[in-house]
Amino acid sequence: MSLSATQPGVGRSVLVGGAATDGAGSATHSGPTDWATLRRFSERHYEPSWLRDLRSAWWQRYQDTPLPSGQEEEWRRTPLADLPRNAELLLDAPATELDHDADLAARGVIFTDLRTAVREHPELVRAHLGIGEPVESHAAFWALSLAAWTAGTFLYVPRGVEVDGTLIARLVTDRADVAFVPHTIVAAEPGASVTVLEELVSADGAAGWFGGTVEIHAQEGSRIRYARLQRLGDGVWNIGAQRVVVGTDAEVTTLNAEVGSRVTKVGLDVQMTGRGGVSRVLGLLAAGGDQHIDINSVQELVGSHTTSDLLYLAALYDRAHAAFYGRIVVRPGAKQTSSYQECRNLLLSPGAGAEPIPVLEIETNDILRCGHGATAGAIDPVQLFYAQSRGLDADEAERMIVRGFFEQVVGQISSETIKALVLDALARRIGSSTAFDEADEADAA
Amino acid sequence: MALPNPALSQLPDNYKYGWHDPEMKPLHLMKKGLSTAVVEEISRIKGEPKWMTDLRLKAFRHFEARPMPTWGGDLTQIDFQDIYYYVTATDRAAQSWDDVPDYIRRTYDRLGIPEAEKKYLAGVGGQYDSEVVYHNIHADLEKKGVIFLGTDEALQRYPEMFREYYGTVIPANDNKLAALNTAVWSGGSFIYVPKGVHVDLPLQAYFRINTESMGQFERTLIIADEGSSVHYVEGCTAPTYSTASLHSAVVEIIVKKGARVRYTTIQNWSHNVYNLVTKRAVAYEDAVMEWVDGNLGSHLTMKYPSIYLLGERAHGEVLSIAFAGEGQHQDAGGKVIHAAPNTTSLITSKSISKGTGRTSYRGLIKVYPGCKHSKSTVRCDALILSDEARSDTYPYMEIDEEDVTIGHEATVSKVGAEQLFYLMSRGLTEAEASAMIVNGFIEPIVKELPMEYAVEMNRLIQLQMEGAVG
Repeated sequence: MSLSATQPGVGRSVLVGGAATDGAGSATHSGPTDWATLRRFSERHYEPSWLRDLRSAWWQRYQDTPLPSGQEEEWRRTPLADLPRNAELLLDAPATELDHDADLAARGVIFTDLRTAVREHPELVRAHLGIGEPVESHAAFWALSLAAWTAGTFLYVPRGVEVDGTLIARLVTDRADVAFVPHTIVAAEPGASVTVLEELVSADGAAGWFGGTVEIHAQEGSRIRYARLQRLGDGVWNIGAQRVVVGTDAEVTTLNAEVGSRVTKVGLDVQMTGRGGVSRVLGLLAAGGDQHIDINSVQELVGSHTTSDLLYLAALYDRAHAAFYGRIVVRPGAKQTSSYQECRNLLLSPGAGAEPIPVLEIETNDILRCGHGATAGAIDPVQLFYAQSRGLDADEAERMIVRGFFEQVVGQISSETIKALVLDALARRIGSSTAFDEADEADAA
Repeated sequence: MALPNPALSQLPDNYKYGWHDPEMKPLHLMKKGLSTAVVEEISRIKGEPKWMTDLRLKAFRHFEARPMPTWGGDLTQIDFQDIYYYVTATDRAAQSWDDVPDYIRRTYDRLGIPEAEKKYLAGVGGQYDSEVVYHNIHADLEKKGVIFLGTDEALQRYPEMFREYYGTVIPANDNKLAALNTAVWSGGSFIYVPKGVHVDLPLQAYFRINTESMGQFERTLIIADEGSSVHYVEGCTAPTYSTASLHSAVVEIIVKKGARVRYTTIQNWSHNVYNLVTKRAVAYEDAVMEWVDGNLGSHLTMKYPSIYLLGERAHGEVLSIAFAGEGQHQDAGGKVIHAAPNTTSLITSKSISKGTGRTSYRGLIKVYPGCKHSKSTVRCDALILSDEARSDTYPYMEIDEEDVTIGHEATVSKVGAEQLFYLMSRGLTEAEASAMIVNGFIEPIVKELPMEYAVEMNRLIQLQMEGAVG
């Protein structure tokens, strides 16, 4: 994967940890860092004491939380034996690249690198950082990220402010052989609205550990559309986690496009806390080589009259393997809810495999709709034959069918900017179908 | 052995099979508990060959070494030392109802078995606690070489064939409860259908637990030789006690090339029975295996009938219906393993939970590499009838072959207010309307049952529904 030519703030130096731990207890995990290193990092950046205390508390929690043993239902399909757990924490981390918009700033929107946000808006960061419980399946990794983040993105939209267009944040590093656990916060106050794309890029080659975490807080009546385009290097273990909290009448759409990495093992917890909230949890996976992608999702319906729909589509080439273990949990008080999860896998070569496991746990009878669907299979030969009978060669026909397969999610992306970037990233795997592009152009003409 | 909440076991007043026979004087009532000595003693009483005694002991070591499952239902209250492992009323299986002891005969009369045998069955077996008390098959089937015996008798009479197949589908070191069964098994049915023979009417076995704190561990082995077919039906009931009983059966089925087996279970254990059963079939080239699995009774059922499709074009089906009332947990489902090309499977599950009942569908579809053109469809529907009821769906899929078509779909719904209102506006009471909706919901399964069973199933559901809807 090539990096763009202009990369400000790309990290070069890694501070070596190894000093005796103090303050935050004894080290039970040999891991990417230690408390002394984190404390020095915090002091060097003049972090406020509340933040140092918060890091210390999460570090302690990380120490107290065992790493998955492989016996857990969520971890049976992704052994951690080869996780490069001794990769060193990337301390001199790159800042998020993003466009500063003076007009937005004037309206009170804060869109910046997380470390900058700590300096300039400490109280707002404090109000949103690490609130809520860890993503359950990834509790240890969540705690590590909250303790040891060295970069990240902060987006805050005040009450009633509607941001037009698409905000773009890029986190780019040319390092691979490090542990990097950046944290992202997206917070919308009541009635606010925003669309944002976060793109993650790292270098190919060496084995590394990426443990990025995301918190999304949508307050009453707000709308958040968050897309995450993962283009990490081909040696990277991507052990990320995302927590989404959807308040009363709020609407959140998340899209995870997983393109890069050696192993991706992401936990998504979506909590529908307020009455009448809506969430759409979308995913696009294009994997090849020996890539292994394993998604754990929880759609927890707590508030009444809430809606939560999940749709993950995977196109699997070569020896790629995709697992999906997702749960819908409808709590006893969650009356009149509607929820669905759907996971579809297109197997494009004999070595590819899929394990879709959608689980329902329903603790009330007063539901409007609840269900799931999962499929795995090759391209329908009839479709392939049809496309070829129209003059496409087999490869082109396959590409077109894969793009058509992804359309079920792509069609739900309202931002043209996000759609273009995601399709472009996916094209690296599925190839671009010239016939398809020409058809697009013809439509546009 | 205590139940987590003994009061719950008493609730189904309309459970009409809850009586027990006080007159029963056991010939053998081994003291409670499990040990190597108990395993050896069971084998000794039965006069078994040494290989079987050794296999029992081997399985017992596996049972002891393995941890209790921690998934599925709550098994923490099971005390393996507080169970009778071997209780017999008679020392042989009668071939005529007149030879069955009167009080047992009365029990089977009340269950309607002799009547059913006359009318529409090709053969009947009856097991009472640990041993088979009755076994009979139509003479013409016997002439064609069909074997339908109690499993113990089959071991004595057909030792070679028995040893060839026994434990080949579910080995002694399978899961903990299957290992327990292999160690202490007693009773069950043995069926062999020769090449090309079609058994047109169903064979039935009826399992009855009478003794309190009883463990019933029947072992069933069915071999359908090439091109043959057979339909086997089993029913189960037990008296209602406030202490727990354990039913842990193992069923092995071998469906050879071009053969067809259907295995139907109507499980209506009283609500103090832990029903932890391992059922597995292997199907070879062009064979068809069908499980029709109805779970209405028991305190907790954990049962996932499975099918290994080992030959090309083999087909497997599981039709599962579960009804969980007050305090019950039905953890049921099915597994199909596609291990040959062009194999197909279909799992259909319908579950209903009511009161504080909980139904869980748990299933697996696995496709091995190279099993091209495999097709599988899994369809689960759940109906939740009360606020406190719970329904879960755990469908596992492991697909390691590209050229396949695998689909799973599930829905969960409640009885809609609009549906109820419509029916009640036509003069039905709420209970009648709910029962009608439930009957409609399970229709696709019920229509697969033989007529008599379909009627029985509808009646059982109606009983379960009485006074249920609030």
